Amino acid sequence: MKNWSRQIGIRTLATLIALALQAGPAGAQGLAPGEYKVGFITENTGAIASAGQSYWNGAQLAADEVKAQKFLGGASIVLDSKESGSDAARAIQAANQFVADRSVLAVSCCILSAVAGSLKPIVVEAKTPLVIFGATASGLPQPPWVYSMTILPGPKDTATAVKVIDAVKPKTAAYILAADNDAFKGRMNATRTALEAKGVTTAGVVNVLTKDTDFTAAATQAMGLKPDVILVYATQGAAAGAITALKDRGYAKTIVGNDVLSPAPIFKKMGTSVVGVPFPVSFSDAIVETPEAKAFVAAYQAKFSAPPDIYSAQGYQVVWFIAQGLKSISGQPTRESLATALSKISKIDHQVYGGEVMKDGQAETTGTLVVMWNAEGKIVPWTAPK
Amino acid sequence: MELFLEQLINGCAIGSLYAMFGLGFGIVFATLGILNAAHGSYASWAAIAALAAVEQLKLPFIVALPIGVVAGGMLAVLVDQIAFQPLRRRGSEMLGALITSIAFWIILDNLAGTATGQQSLSFPRGSYPGTMFRLGDIPLPAMQVITIAAMLIVTVSLHLLIRHSRFGAAMRAVGWNQTAAALGGVNPRHVVIITAFIAGATSGLAGVLGGITTQNVSFLLGEGLLLKGFAAVVVGGYDDVRGTAIAGVGLGILEVMTSQYLSSGLRDGITYALLLSFLLLRPRGLFGSAGFSRA
Repeated sequence: MKNWSRQIGIRTLATLIALALQAGPAGAQGLAPGEYKVGFITENTGAIASAGQSYWNGAQLAADEVKAQKFLGGASIVLDSKESGSDAARAIQAANQFVADRSVLAVSCCILSAVAGSLKPIVVEAKTPLVIFGATASGLPQPPWVYSMTILPGPKDTATAVKVIDAVKPKTAAYILAADNDAFKGRMNATRTALEAKGVTTAGVVNVLTKDTDFTAAATQAMGLKPDVILVYATQGAAAGAITALKDRGYAKTIVGNDVLSPAPIFKKMGTSVVGVPFPVSFSDAIVETPEAKAFVAAYQAKFSAPPDIYSAQGYQVVWFIAQGLKSISGQPTRESLATALSKISKIDHQVYGGEVMKDGQAETTGTLVVMWNAEGKIVPWTAPK
Repeated sequence: MELFLEQLINGCAIGSLYAMFGLGFGIVFATLGILNAAHGSYASWAAIAALAAVEQLKLPFIVALPIGVVAGGMLAVLVDQIAFQPLRRRGSEMLGALITSIAFWIILDNLAGTATGQQSLSFPRGSYPGTMFRLGDIPLPAMQVITIAAMLIVTVSLHLLIRHSRFGAAMRAVGWNQTAAALGGVNPRHVVIITAFIAGATSGLAGVLGGITTQNVSFLLGEGLLLKGFAAVVVGGYDDVRGTAIAGVGLGILEVMTSQYLSSGLRDGITYALLLSFLLLRPRGLFGSAGFSRA
């Protein structure tokens, strides 16, 4: 009986040791080697493909770097792309395909908030991490499944407008708004409230639509309000068109833009029309200080023969964010373990902004750069006109 | 009043683009019997060709403009001969041509997107007339004057060509019945090719001028013109270029005034409500003949 008890005790101990040995080395070895697939819903065609290509380029560069730097040891991230053309139906189809493919650990998508919003219930239901690269509506993140690496431009818009208003001291302001874009509507309303609190009267709001191409009438309408300053809250094409039309029609007072004016092709398209227009930016290849940001600019330039823009930076951060999550996992990662790992990230280790934190699934950076294009086509800190 | 007049001129200018585009669209429908969804792509490609002439070949606006126009015409002939001629030979109905044209629309727009790097490009400042004239206190950009003048010249020229020339008579004959026209000594294929060229060139002219005035050279350029041009043709009447011109300008003014005095959100709704009203109440349009078979 005693021998029998001892045998049981020895066997139990042996089993426990074996289990401990099995778990022990895995904990020490970190992420299991292999290629881990991330589904990337690209927007390389369609009306906002210029931004879509930047996101995709940034993500590809980051995946290359993760592998080349052996950031994950013997593991690497492989991007599996499916094109949506910014169309919600195609994006949903792509997301469903990625969800069905069990080798896909996480999905990244969406410039448009409406498209991101339509994918959110799919990935939450399927328990698959989704990292948003471009949509700006607040409320999209939902840890542990949905994260956003988009630097929300709303607070930066307001800070920029207040800075400009403090310098220019206008009495009245008019707004040109992409009325079919809820995110821009929210951003404009926040700024309008801040400016009215500072005593700036709203002369009026001129509505344009994202798909508009002719802004002559809108510019005429805005100028007809006789404002001291015009603030433009619209997507890239509409903002560029509206500002150009205002300048073409001889509007010489202050125009305030938004972050969509930062990519390099904008200066090529708008030329002198955009010179001197203040806008906020979280990242600009012309104003980089940290070694990571400088290395990113150099590597991007070398790979794509073009400078990176804010969209490239956000695409780049998506992959590094996922890589950081994977690095903290021991053994073979699953969608669930990756989601848990991502939810624990409070600070992005490898980033290009000079400070990036995660708060409730939303990436945030500190500080606002208020910049403008100069006549030589360089982004420089904004200075008030004398 | 000053604002009203400014917006009236803006409406005439944008409406002139719709009118020019609609003229080509209408000619193709009236003569060749094709509701050509790819017609917008000719405008996009004409603008891209003109921009390439300015940027790559460093040619002046006065040379780049006709290059774009000819490019639009040549593309229209190419599409017609590749896509529609085989259907015509087989005696295919209008639906087959429409579906084929949608396929070409998608292909050409995708290629245009690739050619422009999916960017919205624009003509460099200084490469086109940028003078700002003034009518009293009302600013009048040179490109708006050129656009309105071009629309008037094209409309009058096409009206004279179609109604008062032997070729115009041949176009109308082919539009009515190709076999009968051939028996009457008309070479239908020549007429078809020249008509396609004229339609593409007219669309190309709208594309180049539109690309400059809207600062938008991309595949979206033609897409924007397509629906408005179609509306101009329906409202004006398929077989009368004067109606298309008047309807195009009217649509432009209606759009601008709706945005100014009502809401930009209602702008397209009002345009298409007008289109629907004409389709229901006066399908032959303002100037279309009552007996026109395709209306």
